[in-house]
Amino acid sequence: MAFRFALAALLGSLCYLDRTAAFQFMLHRPLVVATLMGAVFGNFAAGAQIGAVLELLYIARLPVGASVPPDDTGAAVFAGAAAAAASSSIGLDGGSFTALLLFTFPFAELGKIADRHVRKVNGRVAHLTAEAVDRGDLRAVEHGLLAGLTLFALSGGLLALAFSGAGVAVAKLLLPRFGPGSHLEFSALLPALPLLGAASVYSCSRTERTAAVFFLTMAAVFAATVFFRWAA
Amino acid sequence: MTAPALSAAARRAVWRRQFLLQGCWNYQGMQNVGFAYAILPALREFYAGRPEEALKAVKRHLEFFNTQPAMGTVILGAAVRLEESVAAGEADPRSIGTFKVGLMGSLGAIGDAFFWGALRPTASAAGAILALLHPLAGIVALLALYNATHLLVRFRGFAAGMQGQEGAVAWLRAAGLSGKTEDRKLAAAVLGGAYAGAYAGRHAVLGGDLFIAFVLFVLGVALVRLFTALFRKAVSPSEILAFLLVVGVLILWD
Repeated sequence: MAFRFALAALLGSLCYLDRTAAFQFMLHRPLVVATLMGAVFGNFAAGAQIGAVLELLYIARLPVGASVPPDDTGAAVFAGAAAAAASSSIGLDGGSFTALLLFTFPFAELGKIADRHVRKVNGRVAHLTAEAVDRGDLRAVEHGLLAGLTLFALSGGLLALAFSGAGVAVAKLLLPRFGPGSHLEFSALLPALPLLGAASVYSCSRTERTAAVFFLTMAAVFAATVFFRWAA
Repeated sequence: MTAPALSAAARRAVWRRQFLLQGCWNYQGMQNVGFAYAILPALREFYAGRPEEALKAVKRHLEFFNTQPAMGTVILGAAVRLEESVAAGEADPRSIGTFKVGLMGSLGAIGDAFFWGALRPTASAAGAILALLHPLAGIVALLALYNATHLLVRFRGFAAGMQGQEGAVAWLRAAGLSGKTEDRKLAAAVLGGAYAGAYAGRHAVLGGDLFIAFVLFVLGVALVRLFTALFRKAVSPSEILAFLLVVGVLILWD
């Protein structure tokens, strides 16, 4: 298990670097991160399943200017690890799936606070860099950037370690305390969550024709899904 | 006075370093350290043997800077060309700051709308839908859809910037990112609608009745409308999830 947590911290730190500090190749998106965490903790399909819903949940908040959106990477670390751990113990039924998705928000908010803190510390790094350049040290720019990257990577690694640990703990200790009846009742909320994700996409993509295009497509795909499932 | 021409190795180094533009993102200077880091290999060549001027040039780029990171490549390329002119004594050093400040706001706005508001939701929705078929198909679709455009903009934007201010402006005009933003947003709306329809349909099938399926569809549309209205009132997704968690706990309490 220690090896799995070390791997989760390493992969988490790389994904967190991609989030702000380097590349922005979208390796930090919940679909990717939750699948990776699912693979690390023994069930990559369970991680991908929860990542596919989580992918759109927080997308309405954009990283514009100085605003820091909720940390959906952290939410995916938690949910991916928890989904994989739950699937190997009590099974990932609808109620557990719903509960894990709802439990992600404290982690998204904690990750956001940590991100803001790293950016504040980076302010001190940037100040020291400017002072060193004033003294004639050009290499201070490279050292300053390396320090910033290290802070982002360390913070990401620690968050990934803590959030994956919380995920495994919730799956192994909290979810089994509720009986099958409770799981069934909790799963009543599940249909609302993908719709929350779809609403996030809708609110991002507002144009004059968005409403017509969105709801017509929704109706067509809904009808096709119902028709083909019943026909089968 | 002439500045040495930028070597291919230095140009490649600047290109590689632009991926770390936000490496030391901070609330005071934002991307300032990242920008200075990215342009440093060019400055070292232009001001070789002139340490005082090299120092002044680095300080110029440690001033406040913030834009959308992929769009920053256009400004970076043009700033390299401007520094070349300054090193050759053909331009006023203050023109670099004016140019950067003049362009970073508008490019930031165009880039935020295009990348965060249109391209990312499109790629994410496509990935989330395909992940229903196979997880790897979803991940590949997400990464390929986003990065094909993302890397192209970075590559062409930097090359256009390296042709100078006029080249950068001409490329921005030809790229027509505002029009493409509209197209991508419609693509995101189609994919978002398909995602909502697929999930709502999967749950409606369990009802086993056409009338119940219709009622569930209407409920689904109402929920999307409600969540969208809440987002417009600045309610965050975390707050909605917290509310749903409270509702879930109340259900269990009964």
